[in-house]
Formats: sequence, structure tokens, C-alpha cells
Amino acid sequence: MTLIVESIKKGLIKSLHLLWLLLKIIVPVSCLVTLLNHYGVMESIAGFFSPAMAVFGLPGESTIALLLSFFVNFYAAIGVITTMSLSPQQMTVLAVIIGICHELPIETAVSSYTGLRIPTAAALRIFTALGAGLLINLIYNLAGGG
Amino acid sequence: MEIVFLLINTTVDALISIGRMALILVPVLILIEIARAYQVIEKITGKVKGALQFLTLPQEAAFPMLAGIFFGIVFGAALIIEYSREGFLNKRDLLLIGIFLSICHSVVEDTFIFAVFGANPLVLLPARIVLAIIITRAAASIIDRYSLKQA
Repeated sequence: MTLIVESIKKGLIKSLHLLWLLLKIIVPVSCLVTLLNHYGVMESIAGFFSPAMAVFGLPGESTIALLLSFFVNFYAAIGVITTMSLSPQQMTVLAVIIGICHELPIETAVSSYTGLRIPTAAALRIFTALGAGLLINLIYNLAGGG
Repeated sequence: MEIVFLLINTTVDALISIGRMALILVPVLILIEIARAYQVIEKITGKVKGALQFLTLPQEAAFPMLAGIFFGIVFGAALIIEYSREGFLNKRDLLLIGIFLSICHSVVEDTFIFAVFGANPLVLLPARIVLAIIITRAAASIIDRYSLKQA
């Protein structure tokens, strides 16, 4: 019985830590995106990348979410996502890419303990993620826009 | 002045999103802790024999892999380091586990978070697992062929 109480306590403490971390990352990132949006910076970035993102069925703004996911972490990408409005198909494609490829600087270092070299791990994850994104988008399109 | 309102709006939206994530994350994290306390992973290691055979990995790989899949890459890697020190897994097996976990780790938490924002969990979860299996199996073939040639 004490084991379950102990686990619930541990889970709650971990949740609080994670939520605090989320707050520290998501609020500033989404405010930054709002500023970039307001001053038209986002528009030019999105415009530049929109042909590339169109391959995945995603709007150009997704580039920012992807880059933040790759080089910072998962939660920074969520900060951008909260400012966007995406269809379920787009959200799923983006989630597949981000789910496979995030926090590369830290996670590739961690996985290098298995003997997997850092550049190999990074390339593996980027290519797998983008390939998966393409594939899922294609399947959605073939299935009639899901 | 308009920008101040916009930023306040954005902050409120972000807080609402975090609140929505909290509703999902808190129970999931508690369940993960309970699973860890009751050693659920130890109990299911025997049930993934077939999958491990397909990946050409030994039974000893089950525990660090399942731990990584459910609890995250840092926890999985910590176990892998421990295992390799004790000599349970060879270099080839370690590398394959590294490849698998790079693509597929802490899938429970990640999937729930994205579901909050409207992603389809039934696509998300299988996509990562299937891709990790295919790529790890392909890597195993390549490594084995390469080391046979060398030998």
C-alpha cells in the first residue's frame, strides 16, 4: 500500500517539475512567435520555406516548430504549435516528425553510449522523421484527406 | 499597445494549453511511476521474445529496450550502460538497441501530449514502433554482412 502512495507522490512531483519546465519554455517561445508574427518576420520565414513544407502538407510556419524541435526540444516546438491552427492531418504529420526527431544535441549524446556515433544518430533521426512525415501525409492524401 | 494585448492573449493561450497537457500528463506520469514501482517491465520481458528474435537481439535486450520505450531514452541508456558493463550485451547488440531507441522512446508520454493538440494517436504510435523495427532489422542485416566480410 505504501508502494502505491509512494509512486503517486513521485509521479506528482515529476509532473510538477515537467509542468514548470513546460511553462518556462512554452510561454516565452509562443510570445516570441507572436512578436515575429506581428512584425512580419514570420511571414517571410514561412514564405521562404513554404514550398519545402508543402511536400509534407504543412504550412511554412511549421519550419520554426521543426527547427526548435530538432535543436532545442519537444516543448519549444509545442510553444509554436499553440500559436498555429492545424488540421488533424497536419498535426499528425508534424507530430510524427517531431516525435522521431527532437532534442538532438542532448539525445544523440545520450544514445552515443550504445556506440551509435552522434552524427550518425542525428542523420538517422532527421531522415527517418522526414521520410515518415512524407509517408504519413501521402497515406492521408490517398485515404481522402482523412 | 496592440502588441501588449497580443502577448497577453498568447500567454493565456499557452497557459490553457499547458493546463490541457497537465490533465493528461499528471495521470500518465503517475501510472508510469506505479508501473516502475511494481516492476511491470520485468513481468512483460518474456512476452516480447518473438519481436526480439525478429530483430536478431538476445533476450537480455528486452529490459533496457522496454524501459527506453516506456520511460525514455535517458533511463533506457542508463540501463544499457549498466548492462554493457556487466557484459550481458555485445557491441553489435548495443548499437542496434541504440538505433531502435533513437527512433522509438518515451512513446506513451509523447503520444498523449500530441493527442492533446489533435494528432491521431493511432497513427503516431504505430508509425514510430514500425519504423524503429524496420530500420533496426535493416541495420542488423547490414552490420552482420559487413562483419562477415571482414572475418
